[in-house]
Amino acid sequence: MPSPTRILIVEDSPLVTDAFSVLFTEAGYEVDAAATVAEAIERGTSTRVDIMLLDISLPDGNGLEILKALRERDSLPRATLAMTGHNDPHSRRSCLEAGCAEVLLKPVPIGELLRQIKRHLV
Amino acid sequence: MSMSDPTEPAALKKRTKTLESQVQEAQRAIDELKVRDALKTQFLSNISHDLRTPLAAIITHAEILRDGMLGELNPKQRDSVAGIVSGGQQLLDMIDEILTYVRSASDQVNLVRTEFNITEVVDQVRMLNQALAAKKHLTIERLNGDDLPLLYADRDKIKHIFGNLIGNAIKFTPDGGRIWIGFSRRGKEGDELVIEVGDTGRGIARDHHELVFREFAQVDASPSRPHHGTGLGLAIARKLVELHSGRIWVESELGKGSRFFFTLPLNPSRD
Repeated sequence: MPSPTRILIVEDSPLVTDAFSVLFTEAGYEVDAAATVAEAIERGTSTRVDIMLLDISLPDGNGLEILKALRERDSLPRATLAMTGHNDPHSRRSCLEAGCAEVLLKPVPIGELLRQIKRHLV
Repeated sequence: MSMSDPTEPAALKKRTKTLESQVQEAQRAIDELKVRDALKTQFLSNISHDLRTPLAAIITHAEILRDGMLGELNPKQRDSVAGIVSGGQQLLDMIDEILTYVRSASDQVNLVRTEFNITEVVDQVRMLNQALAAKKHLTIERLNGDDLPLLYADRDKIKHIFGNLIGNAIKFTPDGGRIWIGFSRRGKEGDELVIEVGDTGRGIARDHHELVFREFAQVDASPSRPHHGTGLGLAIARKLVELHSGRIWVESELGKGSRFFFTLPLNPSRD
């Protein structure tokens, strides 16, 4: 049996992490969570991550630093979906340049979020 | 009347001194107000950002319930949960409107210009508002524009302007009314585009034609007013039009509908 898909939620608000955990668990995924850049790098290197859902503004830095660190350690997930609070073309571009597969505007409707995850697992 | 003759040198000197210190005091007060205004803007920006996070969690949880991921709901339960989602989204839209305003008011907004077809943007906004308009049996019509050249402007911001103007028109036009969008060109070589968003709504009294573009202004500001909102829609539209070096104004009379106009340069300098 193939091991289930693992999603790492990187988000500093426990309220939002909880909501996503319920969503992904119900959708049949395995869920892990990190609330800071440091924690995310640690989770990303010590465990297998298929999809990383990434909040860009984190208490100890910019979420994109995680991608850089994981790339250096050869531990990039299959796809990273960035979430930003505001529709700003500059931050969108910097996310794509840093290697995010998608940039989603928060709050992402759950249907759209699950579609995006499926799309990047193919 | 006065106790001393102001033409007397000593009295004149004293008066000058008093005036000088009054000017200084006024300047201090102005500086203080500017600092407070900046603080208030920062507060608005922070609070709107912080309100978004728990609201996002509420909406996500409600969507999970609505979509039956935690078990099927009966139709009444589903309607009720769908109400939480749409109420949450409406609140989110208002918070975003405040954030947009704060950013544009503190000059944190930059234009990202591309070439695009303005009629496509109008048709998109019409589609987005179709359901809302249908509820009130309103028609939203684009009168012309198929032959317009491409616009070189910030597409998202132009869309935002149309969203606010058409949204207002829907809000203030009674059942069965009409909303239209039209284009004309003027200036030398027709390089200024004039856009009209008109409606058959309740209209705006002449005294209020300036007021409606001011931030937080609502012609009826009483708590029992029938139309609620942030009162920022037209202030934001004005800011975004002005960022494009255009002008915005309204022609209206009470009871006779409103026609909002704004201009955009068709050949802005490209630097």
